[in-house]
Amino acid sequence: MFDYHALAPELIVGGTLMAALLADLVLPEERKYLVGVVGIVGLVAALFPLLTLGFCEDLGFCSGATERVMFGGSYVVDDFALVMKGLFLVTGVISILMSVGYIESERYYQGEFYWLIVASVTGAVVMASSRDLITVFIGLELVSGPAFLLAGWRKGDVRSNEAALKFFLIGVLSAAILLFGMSLVYGLTGEITFEGIRAASATLADEPAFVMGVIFVLVGFGFKISAVPFHFWAPDTYQGAPTPVAAYLSVGSKAAGFVGLLTVCYLAFSEVASIWGPALWLLAALSMTIGNLTALKQTNIVRLLGFSSVAHAGFVLVPFAMAASYDAEGLQSAFFASITYLLVYAFMNLGAFAVVIAVAAKTGSAELDDWAGLSRYAPVPAVLLAVFFFSLAGIPPLAGWFAKLVMFRAVLGGTGAWGAALAVIAAVNAVIALAYYARVVKTAFMDPVPATVPLADAGAPIAPALVLALGVTAAVVVVAGFYPPILSFFGDAARALAFGG
Amino acid sequence: MTQYFQDYITVAVFAAFGVLLVLIAVGASALLRPKNPTPAKSASYECGMDPVGGGWSQTQVRFYIYGLLFLIFDVEAVFIFPWAVRLEQLGGFALVEMAIFIAILLGGLAYAVRKGVLRWES
Repeated sequence: MFDYHALAPELIVGGTLMAALLADLVLPEERKYLVGVVGIVGLVAALFPLLTLGFCEDLGFCSGATERVMFGGSYVVDDFALVMKGLFLVTGVISILMSVGYIESERYYQGEFYWLIVASVTGAVVMASSRDLITVFIGLELVSGPAFLLAGWRKGDVRSNEAALKFFLIGVLSAAILLFGMSLVYGLTGEITFEGIRAASATLADEPAFVMGVIFVLVGFGFKISAVPFHFWAPDTYQGAPTPVAAYLSVGSKAAGFVGLLTVCYLAFSEVASIWGPALWLLAALSMTIGNLTALKQTNIVRLLGFSSVAHAGFVLVPFAMAASYDAEGLQSAFFASITYLLVYAFMNLGAFAVVIAVAAKTGSAELDDWAGLSRYAPVPAVLLAVFFFSLAGIPPLAGWFAKLVMFRAVLGGTGAWGAALAVIAAVNAVIALAYYARVVKTAFMDPVPATVPLADAGAPIAPALVLALGVTAAVVVVAGFYPPILSFFGDAARALAFGG
Repeated sequence: MTQYFQDYITVAVFAAFGVLLVLIAVGASALLRPKNPTPAKSASYECGMDPVGGGWSQTQVRFYIYGLLFLIFDVEAVFIFPWAVRLEQLGGFALVEMAIFIAILLGGLAYAVRKGVLRWES
């Protein structure tokens, strides 16, 4: 019989999908936001089984191992999976909160919009537990499929169409590359589960076809996490897509790609770390440097955040790039650093996008020039803008500094010149990043207000749902910055994966 | 070279022979036959009607939705047949599972009906 407790989050999210679909059918046009409410309630409800699973022993539900293996090792619910599922569910909730006011003004297919976000989150939740190639692939496609539609939501807008088309073509290309790599790996090892691949791959490190398979899998995930040189779709897609969707793509969809990449590298390819270690080193160095240098030149805030998310993908990869040269303890610390960075990044980036939505409602655009003197007529959004952008830059006492700290600690924990070189590159990039984040804040606080802004209705209050999204993300960023043990608790839980395999 | 790649040699040899066979048959007849083309000979002979109009024709876009709906219930049938054959052994649990599966699909049909995709006019 199945372990329904372990599958409860997926079952609840699946039930939420049906409920949202049916709610969309019966609700009149002016009440469609209730579909979003159904989605939020469902996603929040799915958080509770995560808690009962995570503190299973303390609550007295079960005894012994917290790790639950199902479907012949294809689906594993361990602490790592629980933490990531929690992240995806919270990301989904915040994305829906950000969308409510934004989508209502568009006046079409609102119900489907919320439904598609929940569907995409379902895929991400499945990915966190997947421990075989096919389940990972299905999860990844379930994340991407709805996201293609969401990116092209404003169908009258040429940019939105461009965003959806680019995202779709790149998504299909990366899926094809990923599948090709997986088919090579399967052909040579004869195994689908990560555990089986790991056992069979020890003798294959010198086999050219296997090396190619591993590299192709990395490239496929590289597109999903928009690491340089597979990043070029990301800024265009973020700029054209509706801003809440861009926020979801840059956090939920990207984190799903990271989960896939980390579990595949760590669990399936751990015997052949000499193949993916140098490749990830290169991806990390290029992503940070090119992402940050290009962001310096951006004049549109959403595009700037797009390139900044490329750079942050590089930072997340930094600890893991050196994993090949680590001993067991170093590997744990690398895993801890990557997961912690991902958690922090999720909240500060969602917050930054929420600020963009709030401010764009007052200035009418996301161009940096129109944001000049924001603090004169919209002090609260301006302060929040400073909070999230300085957090992204890694300035204490906001959460971003802790992410950068654990990242540097992990990469310097290893030995050898390559680790030191990567640390230097990361440090230089942290400084470059500060330049463009600070420039936005300086424009908002110090430059004179241009004649064209603010809009006539700039005095209107921010949508309540958006206020809630801003409040939650700001609270996490500030509290976690002052009291990092909150985050290290989750990071530590996720690190348990290091011993799972 | 591993066994993995050696298996592909068989495929390559097979493909090469296939191409060779066609080349020999067509090439030999081209070399041996007399060449004396006339318009009557070049016309399509006993191969159906002479084609009229272009190769592209437009189809109502609504058939796409019908195609999608058909596909969904086609897949449902694929699942139901083996399930029906083994139902006695699988027991009541399988019955409940199939009921849930069909209920989910009916949700899709209800969505299609409510959104008016099955109405031809409008």
